[in-house]
Amino acid sequence: MIYRVFLLFFALVSSVFADVCATDDAGHVLCLPTVAQRIVALSPGATELMFAAGAGNKVVAVVDYSDYPPAALNLPSVGNYTRIDMEALLALRPDLVITWVTGNPPAQVELLKALDVPQFAIEPRTFEGVSSVLERLSTLAGTEQQGFAEAERFHAGIAALSEQYRNAEPVSVFYQVWAQPLMTINNDHLIGKVLQLCGGVNVFGDMPRLVPRISAEAVLEADPLVILTGSVGGVSDGQLDRWKNYSRLKAVARNNLLFVPASLISRPTPRLLEASKYVCQKLDIAREH
Amino acid sequence: MTRSLSGLAAIALIAVLLALAIGSVTIPPLELWQVIQGEGSALNRTLIVDLRLPRTLAAFATGGLLAVAGALMQVLLRNPLADPYILGLSGGAAVGALLAMLAGLGTLLISGSAFAGAMLATFLVFGLAHGTGSWTPTRLLLTGVVVAAGWGAVITLMLAVSPADQLPGMLYWLMGDVSYARTPWPALVVLAVSIVLIMPLARNLNVLARGPMQAAALGVSVRPLEWAVYLLASLLTATAVTTAGSVGFVGLIVPHMLRLVLGNDQRIILPASALAGGTLLVLADTLARTVIAPEQLPVGVITALLGVPMFLYLLHRSR
Repeated sequence: MIYRVFLLFFALVSSVFADVCATDDAGHVLCLPTVAQRIVALSPGATELMFAAGAGNKVVAVVDYSDYPPAALNLPSVGNYTRIDMEALLALRPDLVITWVTGNPPAQVELLKALDVPQFAIEPRTFEGVSSVLERLSTLAGTEQQGFAEAERFHAGIAALSEQYRNAEPVSVFYQVWAQPLMTINNDHLIGKVLQLCGGVNVFGDMPRLVPRISAEAVLEADPLVILTGSVGGVSDGQLDRWKNYSRLKAVARNNLLFVPASLISRPTPRLLEASKYVCQKLDIAREH
Repeated sequence: MTRSLSGLAAIALIAVLLALAIGSVTIPPLELWQVIQGEGSALNRTLIVDLRLPRTLAAFATGGLLAVAGALMQVLLRNPLADPYILGLSGGAAVGALLAMLAGLGTLLISGSAFAGAMLATFLVFGLAHGTGSWTPTRLLLTGVVVAAGWGAVITLMLAVSPADQLPGMLYWLMGDVSYARTPWPALVVLAVSIVLIMPLARNLNVLARGPMQAAALGVSVRPLEWAVYLLASLLTATAVTTAGSVGFVGLIVPHMLRLVLGNDQRIILPASALAGGTLLVLADTLARTVIAPEQLPVGVITALLGVPMFLYLLHRSR
């Protein structure tokens, strides 16, 4: 009994005096003396993740195109994720800056490091990565309760979908990221993983580059059953009209030119669960055609 | 001569102070004065000393380097359309920098690559133009323009095959951006040293501007002087491009603007170019980082938008 009281006391005391530490996606360990109170998110995905981790009220600035959740629209912007207004950022006195490993300009990130601004670099590449980053961000922000719960919800949702579609009939898919130049993704990309989750077979999944630029001929040769792309709100727009010229394509013949909401699928956030459900539904429709 | 130079120096100083005072965060003049004296709040000190001062000094140095290099190129090639990049220097530097970015190297190595690329371009053009022994400005110009086109093709190829997420960084480098400059001291030192080196040669450059035959007849050793000017101009351009990417327009227009006002004496034009080029780039960079803040514009956009009306006005006034 005394032993338990002592252990509890010790745990409480050490949690007050211990640093708050987490490892970022670039491999660096960040230790803050106390939980972060003023956080700046340097990518739209980071903004969403901070809100999902329960730390939305601690975010003091974002960058352009941080449009989700709607509360983020009221936050001031410090520029574009490719070019940050350093003065505006420093004037906000942040105690934590969430950077994007490959998206933010290296010269400016190095300047932040030289000015001793605590930074945490993220770049989730898998579903587990999304859960992990939610947990780590909530640890740094002191909102473990919401953050871990959200990570668990996401993990459980993905696991359930994975189980549901484990034996689904494979469907060959071409995901069109951009029409001109024609770009797609391979299976290392999160979108590729969403396709795999739903039983889709990405016809360009084995390409060496993450976002390959391909020719229309390559698509005609691969002859996918489904051609998928992201659009605003998942509404059919003109992005896939060019394929209607090739009536021999299986996807055109069976009316499988399909759309998913771009903002759900393009960011490494818990909304990927909704995106995955959407994509899985669309692939089910394609299986029936 | 000293009157016009001291006037330009005063304008340069005012421009630098303006650049320190203006930014996306408003700092009242009183607080600026406090920071200059060594006091002031920690935030203001960081903003002014760690952010604005290095950036302003780098902009000044880059502008000065490009303007002097442009003036030297115009004398060397006896062609008013010559600018520092005409011989493919910025192309070579760009290929070096872009290769380093593709390889994922740090900013220091990117700058080093850019410098190496520029020097490679210099020696390449020099070697090719020197080929059969007769080395005329026309031959140098043609060789340089063709090699520059070659570098341009390589840059286009690299932009076409690079991964999509690296493109914005590469494009910003190509447009010229003073925010890349981490320290202004290499550029400032190179500018100061080269002005000191070139001033004794300025009288000979005046004579050279009239033509090589006339210059030789008047006792100027033409070949060594041309080589020295070419190498110095290349070094200045390489340093400028390494510091801030390929900022356009300054090297071409600033010497001409000064010639319209001050005449064509190189003893005045060369130091005046350093001061005026630096001032122009400092003002342009201040605008670039504040006019649509928090969005940041590349400085080359502003130099052209500012410089074109100014030049047209001066040209019109000088009729």
